[in-house]
Amino acid sequence: MAASAIFILDLKGKVLICRNYMGNVNINEIDNFMPIMMKREEDADLSPVVIHGSTHFLWIKHSNLYLVAITKKNTNAALVYSFLYKLVEVFTEYFKSLEEESIRDNFVTVYELMDEVMDFGFPQTTDSKILLEYITQRGHKLEVGAPRPPATVTNAVSWRSEGIKYRKNEVFMDVIESVNLLVSATGSVLRSEILGCIKLKVVLSGMPELRLGLNDKVLFEITGREKSKSVELEDVKFHQCVRLSRFENDRTISFIPPDGESELMSYRLNTTVKPLIWIESVIEKFSHSRVEIKVKARSQFKSRSTANNVSILVPVPSDADSPKFKTTTGQAKWVPEKSAVEWNIKSFPGGKEFMMRAHFGLPSVESDVLEAKRPITVKFEIPYFTVSGIQVRYLKIIAKSGYQALPWVRYITQSGDYQLRTN
Amino acid sequence: MPYFGSEEMVKELKRALSNPNVQADRLRYKNYITKVIRYMTQGLDVSALFMDMVKASATVDIAQKKLVYLYMCTYASDKPDLALLAINTLRKDCADPNPMVRGLALRNMCNFRMPGMTEYIEQPIVAGLRDKASYVRRVAVLGCAKMHSLQPNTDIDGTIVNELYALLRDPDPVVVVNCLRALEEILKDEGGVVINKPIAHHLLNRMKDLDSWAQSEVLTFLLRYRPRSDDELFDILSLLDSFLQSAHAHVAVATLRLFLQLASAHPAVQADALLCTSAPLLATCGAASRELRFAGLCHVQQVMRSQPGLFGTHYKRFFCGYSEPTYIKFRKMEILVELVNDENVALVLEELRSYCTDVSPELAQAAIAAIGRIAQTYSEKCLDILTGLLALKQDHITSAVIQMFRDLVWFCPQSTAAVCQTVEACVDSPQDSEQALLWLLGEHGDQISSAPYVMEGYIDGLKTELSSAVKMELLTASVKMFLCRPAETQDMLGRLLHYCIEEESDVCVRDRALLCYRLLQRGVEETRKVVTGPKSDPSMSVLTGRQEEPISQWASTFNTLGPLSGCDLCPQTAVISAADQPSSSAEKELLPESTDVTLSSPDDTEEEISLSLGPPLSHETFEKMWLDLEILQRQTMGFPRPRTALDTLQAALQLVKIQTLAFTPGATVPWKAYIYTRSTGTLILAELLQGDQHAPGIDESLVVSVKQQPVNQHAIRGFVSILKGVLQTLNVDSS
Repeated sequence: MAASAIFILDLKGKVLICRNYMGNVNINEIDNFMPIMMKREEDADLSPVVIHGSTHFLWIKHSNLYLVAITKKNTNAALVYSFLYKLVEVFTEYFKSLEEESIRDNFVTVYELMDEVMDFGFPQTTDSKILLEYITQRGHKLEVGAPRPPATVTNAVSWRSEGIKYRKNEVFMDVIESVNLLVSATGSVLRSEILGCIKLKVVLSGMPELRLGLNDKVLFEITGREKSKSVELEDVKFHQCVRLSRFENDRTISFIPPDGESELMSYRLNTTVKPLIWIESVIEKFSHSRVEIKVKARSQFKSRSTANNVSILVPVPSDADSPKFKTTTGQAKWVPEKSAVEWNIKSFPGGKEFMMRAHFGLPSVESDVLEAKRPITVKFEIPYFTVSGIQVRYLKIIAKSGYQALPWVRYITQSGDYQLRTN
Repeated sequence: MPYFGSEEMVKELKRALSNPNVQADRLRYKNYITKVIRYMTQGLDVSALFMDMVKASATVDIAQKKLVYLYMCTYASDKPDLALLAINTLRKDCADPNPMVRGLALRNMCNFRMPGMTEYIEQPIVAGLRDKASYVRRVAVLGCAKMHSLQPNTDIDGTIVNELYALLRDPDPVVVVNCLRALEEILKDEGGVVINKPIAHHLLNRMKDLDSWAQSEVLTFLLRYRPRSDDELFDILSLLDSFLQSAHAHVAVATLRLFLQLASAHPAVQADALLCTSAPLLATCGAASRELRFAGLCHVQQVMRSQPGLFGTHYKRFFCGYSEPTYIKFRKMEILVELVNDENVALVLEELRSYCTDVSPELAQAAIAAIGRIAQTYSEKCLDILTGLLALKQDHITSAVIQMFRDLVWFCPQSTAAVCQTVEACVDSPQDSEQALLWLLGEHGDQISSAPYVMEGYIDGLKTELSSAVKMELLTASVKMFLCRPAETQDMLGRLLHYCIEEESDVCVRDRALLCYRLLQRGVEETRKVVTGPKSDPSMSVLTGRQEEPISQWASTFNTLGPLSGCDLCPQTAVISAADQPSSSAEKELLPESTDVTLSSPDDTEEEISLSLGPPLSHETFEKMWLDLEILQRQTMGFPRPRTALDTLQAALQLVKIQTLAFTPGATVPWKAYIYTRSTGTLILAELLQGDQHAPGIDESLVVSVKQQPVNQHAIRGFVSILKGVLQTLNVDSS
């Protein structure tokens, strides 16, 4: 990919960190970046690739930082973006949150990391777990034993170090499904998809071999158990530790897990399901006097499940004032900085319907600015439930030393990008 | 950045760093060093501290070492003489028992960008290549590339190149990929690293061990490899099959590119690969990061150039989310326009209609333009929507709609009546669209009853009109109107001409007015002949389907920066496509031996190349040479052989000095022809083949294989383009 240099800039374009990997670009090239960006933004013509002469800037924005890669080559763009996001991921792993402050406070570590993740413009070791083993926030003294390159750097199993030891061996598995929904103003579902992932937290000694059994439809068809309840997974993607050849042969998911937290697999379901929480809204605007909002929320899942921490965000005009609310359950409050009403319901059992009415005053002098039609967004999580019906049938842990280990499985469904457009 | 009192600061630091008390206290010492680096990052010039920093490098604290090395790398080029002092420490560290220290020292030593460095780093690099720790080998391999980039014009060191080629078999995957990267840099002038059969197979087998960055890069390197047989080709493809579905978008896309290139002679395989990757591509279009989403969308656009139907059913994926940045929304709208079909048109239009009222005027206008483009196929439905938008009475919307009307009338004459009826209603058009409205009035004044009165309003307000383009349009439109409705227009046309000739200060407008005046003096019939042209685009009828481009048109820029910036209105776009990729003559598929030849576009080669017949070749000589030589170029023409009689074909080829040796008679399948010609000292032999039984999918298209002695790529390109021209002409004639 050959990124000539990588910069971390603050919002004004001031350089916080700069690493010139190849030395074939002038470091001052970065001074051209911000002016071009400002101009593009004015023209509403922003794009993630900015070109100045023969220099290409590929940038991403993270909280109050710009991460910019400079390249002179016609590189693979998706790769550069992925790398920049990987960098964000690594920094976040180190500093908890990546922002201007944390970069300033930890710039020594930032330089150390940037030295390791890339050399001469080529990505090297980017796995934060491995990096954490030999770049620590504290300085190392050689007498105490300087860090050696971890065995993982040469290991056949590059994602797990040898010689890990725990007193209690456990595996925690989270099956998380997030629902993306887009409903048009007329109430028809435009897009509905489920993105699932299985997350692992592994506390196991040695080099254990794990085998995971799911109620996979293809597997059930092979083994002739077509009658049992199964799910059809699409776009299944695995962590590199999963032996893909075995999965292709007989759909067995077998792997040596990375230590600690990781995402084992992700999948997608395109089958249309009933929206879990359905919203009907009437927003009546009487110019110069008031806005009346009526929102009806209905839970369309089985009554034995319960959605927790439901939060429904309804847009109101930015010049509205003096709110009055009435709800059948939960609490509604006005969030002026978001120009919205936030209706929070702690627990929302399945098959129920709740109402919220809001009343706002409007100024008699109307502003000319056209207001955007913002959608209603909903956040929620439903524990012990998956939309797809995916189930972990077994998780076998085979360790050479033969220790006993406990697997724990948890299911949760949550809202992803859940939007309902308003009129 | 000149800081106030920065000199003071540097002095103070210098004092502190050279203070033996501070040096004794390791923590304090390190704090001062950290401070120096902090100032350096802020852009302060702290190069004056070089001597003190070099001393600080002799430490056991590895983090401190790193900081000092970073400092030295930054200022080495400014202070080469002082930097030499540090080299001793670095060389000593290169022999440290700890591989971490060895690697660190070696990497930083190679990062000193100053002349004369080579002699110091060569020996440690060579030692590093044989180090037992892979961490050091990784660094050393890239060090070779760095060393070369320090002295780009020197001869290439053969032993290092050989050593790097040998290290391609290293057990550590990163070392392997770094070798490829380093060789590519070092051998840049010779066309980069050579991928021959053993290397290609070795890399393919190692693919699974590599991390995603490396996979993606290896796939790009493999583009250079051309399998020798179809069996080998399909073996490679089946090995790579699983990567089409990789979790990493960049790997999936890189695999797709390789597939498209390898299987360029097998369109069925290409289509399969596209179908296979459509799911990961779509997933990328919905990725959490907006930049990746953008990259995904750009690549979907590329794929749609050849397979417009591929994403038709997934149209809902391209509906815009509320919070998406405009660059994504624009791309999505472009895609929606492309994938419209009979099934989804209603929903797509409904969706686009809702964008027309967006608060951002740019977005709203883009949405209207999108509807306008769909209108060229589905005019009725779109006209209804566009007409409905006029009722909103928003200036930016009305203006965009009227401009769309003009285009629509030009491209689809059958919508004229409906448009004219609507235009009748919108007499006061906002700025930006006056020209479009005047054009409509002038061109179709006979169908818009109120046209002269609207025009009169403009003529009366001429004094306040600023734009000369509008005035010129007004002149032309008035003259056109005069021709179809003279009674109503005569008087105001007179006033208009009088004003423009006598009072107008803009020369262009005055000249246009004079031109119109003199034209009218020649008589009405004469004017009519000159002014009225075709009422719609003569070359277009109703668009029923979009042209499908061959995959090779875009495959070579796939997965590069090209697709992302292709639609940017930057003058530099040419730079990108030409930077690394031989894209201009992309459709030519060249064998690896010739990748280093700089390619020029086929157009300019045509003029320079000249073919000649020379002495005739006997069948035996031809056969012998054909068997001895290797195929230098194979190209799918994209059209079948001409349906003319074979004598005609032979005669036509003779005309451009290509001799036909033999061909299969009549309509036998497969059909073959052997031809030859001479050009500037080389002999070109070629085989035309249609209906290859090894590739059943493409029996409709003609495949040309070219052999030559001695090799001259330039001549081949000329030959192929001439041959293509002849065959195409014959095809047109016979149909």
